[in-house]
Amino acid sequence: MLYALMGLGLSLITGILNIPNFAHGALFAVGAYLLATVAVAIGNFWIALVVAPIGVALLGLAIEYAGIRRLYAAGHDYQLLFTFGLALILSEAIILIWGPIGYSHLPPDILRGGMDLGFTMYPKYRLFLMVAAGLLVVATWLFLEKTRYGAIMRAGIENKEMVSLLGIDIHKLFTVAFALGAYLAGIAGALTAPIRGLNPGMGVDMLGIAFVVVALGGLGNLLGAIAAGLIIGVAQALVAAYWTEASTVVIYAVMAAILLVRPQGLFGIR
Amino acid sequence: MKQPIVLLLAAVVLLPFVVRPAIASEIWIFAIFGLGLNLLLGYTGLLSFGQSTFFGSAAYVAGWLLKHYGINTLLALGIGIGVGAASAAVVGYLCVQRSGLYFIMLTFALNQLFYFTAYQWTSVTGGEDGMPGVPRPAMLGIDFKDPLIYYAFVSALFLITLFLMKRIVESPLGKILQAIRENEVRAEAVGYNAPRFKLLAFVIGGAFSGLAGVLYAMLFGIVPLEAISFVFSGNVVFATLIGGSGSLYGPVIGSFVFIWLSESMSTVWARWPLLLGVAFVIVVLFLRGGVVEAWHKVSLRFFK
Repeated sequence: MLYALMGLGLSLITGILNIPNFAHGALFAVGAYLLATVAVAIGNFWIALVVAPIGVALLGLAIEYAGIRRLYAAGHDYQLLFTFGLALILSEAIILIWGPIGYSHLPPDILRGGMDLGFTMYPKYRLFLMVAAGLLVVATWLFLEKTRYGAIMRAGIENKEMVSLLGIDIHKLFTVAFALGAYLAGIAGALTAPIRGLNPGMGVDMLGIAFVVVALGGLGNLLGAIAAGLIIGVAQALVAAYWTEASTVVIYAVMAAILLVRPQGLFGIR
Repeated sequence: MKQPIVLLLAAVVLLPFVVRPAIASEIWIFAIFGLGLNLLLGYTGLLSFGQSTFFGSAAYVAGWLLKHYGINTLLALGIGIGVGAASAAVVGYLCVQRSGLYFIMLTFALNQLFYFTAYQWTSVTGGEDGMPGVPRPAMLGIDFKDPLIYYAFVSALFLITLFLMKRIVESPLGKILQAIRENEVRAEAVGYNAPRFKLLAFVIGGAFSGLAGVLYAMLFGIVPLEAISFVFSGNVVFATLIGGSGSLYGPVIGSFVFIWLSESMSTVWARWPLLLGVAFVIVVLFLRGGVVEAWHKVSLRFFK
């Protein structure tokens, strides 16, 4: 579910803005670090969980407004270089601010320990994470499918010229889409922090996975992102149980295997 | 077009007197790497963000054989070129079927596949610590341990690469690749199988990346994990773009600027990638078109 969340955010950004966002992983990491900092500072995990992703969304807003906005006419190569540069800046800034060593951040008291599910014991926080990520994915889906602005966004993925011809401010749409994508990355990071801990490299690891999800699910294809996120997550969990070392490699191996059979991705048309 | 060649030869001769021979070698190695990428990026219009896959794989395989089996230098280079071409064939086969953003993301994702394989396979690659102890065996009685002699070897190979690349881009094959870059549909309509030519460009680019990878391993005596990471892929894209993609000498100038920049920054501050990121952003926002184009603009203004 976490992967679906990451893929969803990236899918929105790449689908609507048509740029390769290499800073997506860095936004994820910033979300995690912000959560830890805010949670320690005010001593409340829940407030931090609300505040941290909003901070990331604001950061996304600033990035789009100050930089990416000028690059829509430039080629993918320059967009890539820009977001890659941003990713470098953000991850180095994390090291500068929070130090190079990773540390773990524990879940809040009520979510510690396990819960008896009848057939197996399962850590409470993981359960919470699954439910929270699932709810977020559903909420995003509802927003995009059922609200007017969501419909405009989907229209933006299909045909940008038409949307702007209909009198909708496409630049505002781009900004909102980027901020929303950043928000999803940020909250994914914030939710992950208590179980995986924090380290400056976490963004890059997640970036690769998000790309895999989008490549399999299709740009702007929300159901595709969810399905691909689930497939990747399950494959990784299964392999991790038997051969821990290969659990990261398997994500990419699964992707390569699927693409061999279906070069257009799971649901892709383009 | 005699002028650039004369300038280049002068640069090759003078460079080791200006910077340390190791850095001078690194510049030309990176230029070989960049020339390989430029065939894809500049001439075929394929933005590959996974070039370090071929660079790193070749460095690991050839380095491992050099270390454990004591193969000679020429064989190591040959194997490196082969590994680079083979890995590029595999990656290219998966990637050329998609285009645009998907293509970029796929090259990156497959780069991650190779990276994590190297990261986890510690018994061979040394994981995060890298694979040290790659020797630099003598060839034909010439001892490559002297950094200056090794520099001469590297720059000779660089000049050969540049010559080959010039021949490739001016050959019918090069013209077909450029036709695909300009208009893929039209190239297909004229009867060229675009995916197959893209794959060919991948393999050739991969072979040059492999050569650069082995030379790099032998230069520093170690294959760092970084050599197969996306950071290297990003660096070579950056170097090619600041030099100006689509021109033969672009990546050469770019790697010159890039290595010089990163070497001088890394001595100043341990967090130098931050400065590098800032440099990326500045180049993209203000200096698009690269050094070659900027130079054209300047020379038009002042020398006309």
